[in-house]
Amino acid sequence: METKYGGYMGKVLEVDLTTQAVSEYPWTDKDRELFIGGKTMADKILYDSFTGQEKPFSEENILVISTGPLTGTGAPSSGRYNIATLSPQTGIIGTSNCGGSFGYYLKKAGIDALVIKGKCAEHTWIEIDNGEFIFHNADEDGIWGLKVTEAQDKIRGILHEKWGFKRAFGQMVIGPAGENLVLYSAVISDERAAGRTGMGAVMGWKNLKGIAATGNHEFRIINPEKNTKWNQKWFKYLRNHPLTGNQLPRMGTAALVSQMQMRGILSTKNYTYGQYDEFDNVNGETLAEEYNIVNKGCLTCPIKCARTVNVEGREVKGPELETLGLLGGGILNNNMENILKWNNELDELGMDTISCASTIAYAMEANEEGLWDNGLKFGDTEGISQLFEDIAYRRGIGNEIADGSRKCAQKYGGLEFAIQSKGLELAAYEPRRAVGQGLGYAVSNRGGCHLNGGYLVILEGLGLYTDSQTPHAKADFTMLFQDLMEMISASGQCLFTSYAFFPGFLITKPNGVVTRIANAAIPFIGGVLRLINKCPTAVAMHLPVFHHTKAFIYAVGMKMNFGKYIRCGERGYTLERALDCRFGISSKDDTLPKRLTDVPQDPNDPKTKVPLDRMKVTYYKARGWDQNGVPTQKTLKKLKIIA
Amino acid sequence: MVKVKLFGLFRLDTGLKEINAEASSVKELYPIILSEAKKAKPNTIITAADIDGCVVMINGKQGRKSSKLKDGDEVYLMSPVCGG
Repeated sequence: METKYGGYMGKVLEVDLTTQAVSEYPWTDKDRELFIGGKTMADKILYDSFTGQEKPFSEENILVISTGPLTGTGAPSSGRYNIATLSPQTGIIGTSNCGGSFGYYLKKAGIDALVIKGKCAEHTWIEIDNGEFIFHNADEDGIWGLKVTEAQDKIRGILHEKWGFKRAFGQMVIGPAGENLVLYSAVISDERAAGRTGMGAVMGWKNLKGIAATGNHEFRIINPEKNTKWNQKWFKYLRNHPLTGNQLPRMGTAALVSQMQMRGILSTKNYTYGQYDEFDNVNGETLAEEYNIVNKGCLTCPIKCARTVNVEGREVKGPELETLGLLGGGILNNNMENILKWNNELDELGMDTISCASTIAYAMEANEEGLWDNGLKFGDTEGISQLFEDIAYRRGIGNEIADGSRKCAQKYGGLEFAIQSKGLELAAYEPRRAVGQGLGYAVSNRGGCHLNGGYLVILEGLGLYTDSQTPHAKADFTMLFQDLMEMISASGQCLFTSYAFFPGFLITKPNGVVTRIANAAIPFIGGVLRLINKCPTAVAMHLPVFHHTKAFIYAVGMKMNFGKYIRCGERGYTLERALDCRFGISSKDDTLPKRLTDVPQDPNDPKTKVPLDRMKVTYYKARGWDQNGVPTQKTLKKLKIIA
Repeated sequence: MVKVKLFGLFRLDTGLKEINAEASSVKELYPIILSEAKKAKPNTIITAADIDGCVVMINGKQGRKSSKLKDGDEVYLMSPVCGG
């Protein structure tokens, strides 16, 4: 529907794969004001559609592919899109966010979001040309069955033949893992992955191999002159910040591995330990010194955090820290070249590296404990590549590992060392020495996700280094950071733009007086944060270190300040929780494996475990959820989720 | 003799991965590191301020510029990082 706001294309389309009918989905300016775009918009659409009785692999399941209003406005790191659906991996709402260029080109086609229903009768890929939909047979075109680079190359070839080489487009595809319904299969755009919660499997079940979009729609900016100036200033700020302008471009996320080792939060041997003796073989420094060819970025990104490495004569995307951690110390592999090769293999098959690696680590431990005779051993890396293929094509033990660690543990035992929450495997940050991160993993809406969990580890050893064992103020910071990142995601931007929120001197002067005071003060400011979280709109101002809010005013023309921004994020987070509750989620599911809550990482220090129950009580209270973790009617009304 | 290991951008900028040094405090390591960095990367512009900006860990525990060292200690110096 037409919009008065800039940034939006003003059109959300509903696509019925069963009938191939395309119609307009009603989405008003009121919806845009409350639910912005991206992940939050998708949650609202699913909230209005799902009753709680739907199944992930069913025609009733809906796949929402959505962009945010800042995508295409020239804002930094804004070339993103979101996929949301009922996840086959977790059984609750799954969302995954992706870089690359597809989000930008979907908007160039004149579309803000796609609401995809039903199931294709045959294997299909969709071409979107300026709002016109063409359904292609993926078997006849030889695309079904291909790995992701081959599939994208094939689609590119077909479209180049049709359109010529001058027309640019974006695409998203699944690999063999998605086709074979591996529960943690990814969607890939260019080299970037929407990896988490099995979005690829839902596409595979719907017989949808991929979507390519192109168009020549113009982006409408409300105040072009101010928007351009503001973005120039913002780009400059990010380029001059020590994290976004120096560390991330030069070392990527891989830089964290060594710091995690020093802080005792590097998952090792399926989270048995927090330090890996041979970490220096598989860390960011070794990657930068010996393997990285060049750093790359997504559209409009000044940060350029992606690595490029050589694998068997081809230049391919290098690993992120989660992959280095979980396919390094996590399975006791000290060989970097293995990881580079495996990372590429997993991408090509279209599988989430985090869930796949963590499920393999679980299987190794289950074998070691005599629970499951599967032949997998920590440190034995010989057959891992073959195992990936077996998972993607669901052969032998691969067929079981394809279902994730929770389902394997329910069958073979060892739930206490299946490192997942709500069915989603945790990232490489070991939370027994970063307990706020532990809370985040447990309460995260989409399951054990470090980002959706609030990423408190940034205060607890990676960035700042406040007391990582105290529960004080951790619930309040978790809520604030979750809400902040929820809104950044809804806007269509990369979460890494939020890291520049920390003044540079706090990062570059870790031993300075101000930094030491900040680290000491953090556990004592929970009360102040609680007030801000309770009434964020009281902070009706723009913060000099947070450029996002003014971009909304100049590009979108929406009233915005820091308080409103946080409130929008809070609305999105609680909306998603309310939706999860329809599928049976409550406090009983906000858990961690017993290894992390009951077994101290250091046997001589009983504090080195996650005091989850205590933090959860404070967290629910701060959020306005009841003691079972269910949002109250009062909270839903306050946030305008219900009338 | 103490073993000093370098990490993060500090390692990339100095070109030093590990050195052994005679020092009784972290502060005494400064001129040694600057001198070794000059040898490893003659064009380096590393200064004492860059070392000040490093997280210091001594045998796995947080240390500071003024921390004392003894024979056999392992010192990690790392430029701070975050974001993943």
